[in-house]
Amino acid sequence: MSDNSIMPQGKFSAFRELPGKDRKRILTDALFNNAMYIIIAFAIIFITIRVPAFLSLSSVVNIISLTASKLPIALGIAGCIVLTGTDISAGRAVGLTACVSASLLQIAGYPNKMFPDLGVMPLWAVFLIVIAIGAVVGLVNGFFVAKFKLHPFIVTLSTQLIIFGTILMYLMIGTNNGQTLSGLDESYTDFIRGTLFTIGGVAVPKYILYSLIITILMWIIWNKTKFGKNMFAVGSNEEAANVSGVNVFLTIVSVFILAGIMYGITGFIEGARIASSSASTGINYESDAIAACVIGGVSFVGGTGKISGVVIGVFLLQIIFVGLNFLSVSANMLYIIKGAIILAACAVDMRKYLARK
Amino acid sequence: MKKLTSLFLSLLIVTGFTGCTQNNAQQNSDSGNNNSAKIGDVSVFYYTYSDTYISSVRSAMDKELKDAGLKYQNYDANGNQTTQTEQVQTAIAKGASVLAVNIVDTGSNDAAQNIVNLAKAKNIPVIFFNRSVDESVIKSYDKCLMVGTDYEMAGHMQGEMIGNYLVDNYNSVDLNGDGKISYVMFKGQEGNLEAIARTQYGVEDADKILTQAGKPELLFYDEANQNRYLVDQDGTWSSAAATDYMGTILAQYSENSNNMVELVIANNDEMALGAIAALQAAGYNNGTGKTIPVFGVDATQAAQARIADGTMTGTIKQDAEGMADALVDVTENFIEGDSVFDGIDEENIVGNWRINIPYEKYTG
Repeated sequence: MSDNSIMPQGKFSAFRELPGKDRKRILTDALFNNAMYIIIAFAIIFITIRVPAFLSLSSVVNIISLTASKLPIALGIAGCIVLTGTDISAGRAVGLTACVSASLLQIAGYPNKMFPDLGVMPLWAVFLIVIAIGAVVGLVNGFFVAKFKLHPFIVTLSTQLIIFGTILMYLMIGTNNGQTLSGLDESYTDFIRGTLFTIGGVAVPKYILYSLIITILMWIIWNKTKFGKNMFAVGSNEEAANVSGVNVFLTIVSVFILAGIMYGITGFIEGARIASSSASTGINYESDAIAACVIGGVSFVGGTGKISGVVIGVFLLQIIFVGLNFLSVSANMLYIIKGAIILAACAVDMRKYLARK
Repeated sequence: MKKLTSLFLSLLIVTGFTGCTQNNAQQNSDSGNNNSAKIGDVSVFYYTYSDTYISSVRSAMDKELKDAGLKYQNYDANGNQTTQTEQVQTAIAKGASVLAVNIVDTGSNDAAQNIVNLAKAKNIPVIFFNRSVDESVIKSYDKCLMVGTDYEMAGHMQGEMIGNYLVDNYNSVDLNGDGKISYVMFKGQEGNLEAIARTQYGVEDADKILTQAGKPELLFYDEANQNRYLVDQDGTWSSAAATDYMGTILAQYSENSNNMVELVIANNDEMALGAIAALQAAGYNNGTGKTIPVFGVDATQAAQARIADGTMTGTIKQDAEGMADALVDVTENFIEGDSVFDGIDEENIVGNWRINIPYEKYTG
């Protein structure tokens, strides 16, 4: 990206020979470009000094688990943001897929089973169903964005309402009467939050592994495939991409479908992780995910962003959440700190963009 | 291609509308309006369809209204007072016969008073239900009534239940044997009267019983936390918030370090279930082995199932059917011009302006 502003490594002597003004500029640039890492480092050091248990093994595993559970949705939304768009239907899509997963995987004979005659479906079938549901949501979003050139904000504002209505209707099926979906089969809960391995007496849940796999897959898609390159091309300049032979329509639709699939996966994980899904499941998930992307340098200007940035963004938000709990700070402060960080991150991001211009 | 798409879109819209009208027609014939004397719909305004407890009230209401042969129309304010007020205006314009309002804004009297004034101008009876409205508002209009619960009662009953449970099981609950029970409290929402009362009395009343039995008071697990509760930051009383909090707590407090949280109190069952999910991930409350007592409020079906399999300890039942029953009774009384409290259990009537549906303890 802005290679010229980053100090070349191993050339410290050359750096020292520069005039003072340039030296200062390079240093401030380095400071700004790595602002998030610096904030994270300071936050960790500060919290650990106050509450040493923050860096205990169980606490680290907890932070990583929280990050893992919130990562897939953020990775999905990141693609939409790269296209200069956004997706506010993500939270509701997670809610719908969580409810569908839970309803299809209740224990056989559970007193309030939504589909009493169903038994327990195989996990892979339910997984495919929720992925398909997520993909359909993405297809609708992407189609309206690409075909009618509508802003994704408007499209997903609409689909978010449609999905919410669908969730409410879905929860009314049978004798469920809008009740929370619970009583999940062990095969499901064990597959998601069962123990992957135990380290120093701390159990590491399996969904961390799934999140890791998804992150790697997304990294490959973004960086090593033609589709990924097209996505960035469309994001930075749609016209130019079109002229150079990129199928813009197909690219946009595919990005949204991929995002939808990520929401499906998030829903599948959340359904078991929380073990009680209701109409309010997933609400506001998108705002945290969008914030994480922005913090991680996925720019609303379009065409820029890295998978590692998204991971850092999600990670930072979880550090704040856990850290403030460890510090026994009132929840009110969390809003303020979160808001300040998002604002700062966007400002830094725009500074880079303006510099490039 | 362009023509085809626009054709497709118009078709979509048309089928959408006809679909809706068909639904309405069906609903009307469903509700079987045999009594021609009953003019207009009973309009029922719910604060949000997403609330699990409100959903049970809604199903019970739909059934009762249908059985009573009344025409009705439901509205979902989706947690927004402006939406609800506009819905009320629309219903009045449409010629509603009775308004049953589950008010969104409980923070001030203005919203409720506004609705009362709108109804009063057209002489339409208003029944507020579930979420509390002030006496002064109700009494400002003679065709106005509140069907609710004593909002402090759930907290009192939960505290009493917890106190009694602890007195009976003190030593097994006190995992580290320090003679004190450390607890965590999950609050559903800031600024909600019920949440505030439950958060306060759930602990205070338990403390009273413990003190009487010669035991020390409950101890919040984190002494530095001045609030003595953890609140759902989205204000949705959600299980996800409790899961995330509980997981974070368990990362810091454990039996190994001798400071394990020994009791979980939640403002509602959703949050109780969320906490149980995190406890289960840490190897507790699995039916076998150690169980941390978890208490909620609402007695949702999911919580009842948890209590039945022993992974949850107790909850307080809000009687959804009882509330719907009283609501429909009062509605009929208004329509038929009978005395308002006809058919209502006398001990539930408070000061001629309010009916309180009692809570019940539920431990399976």
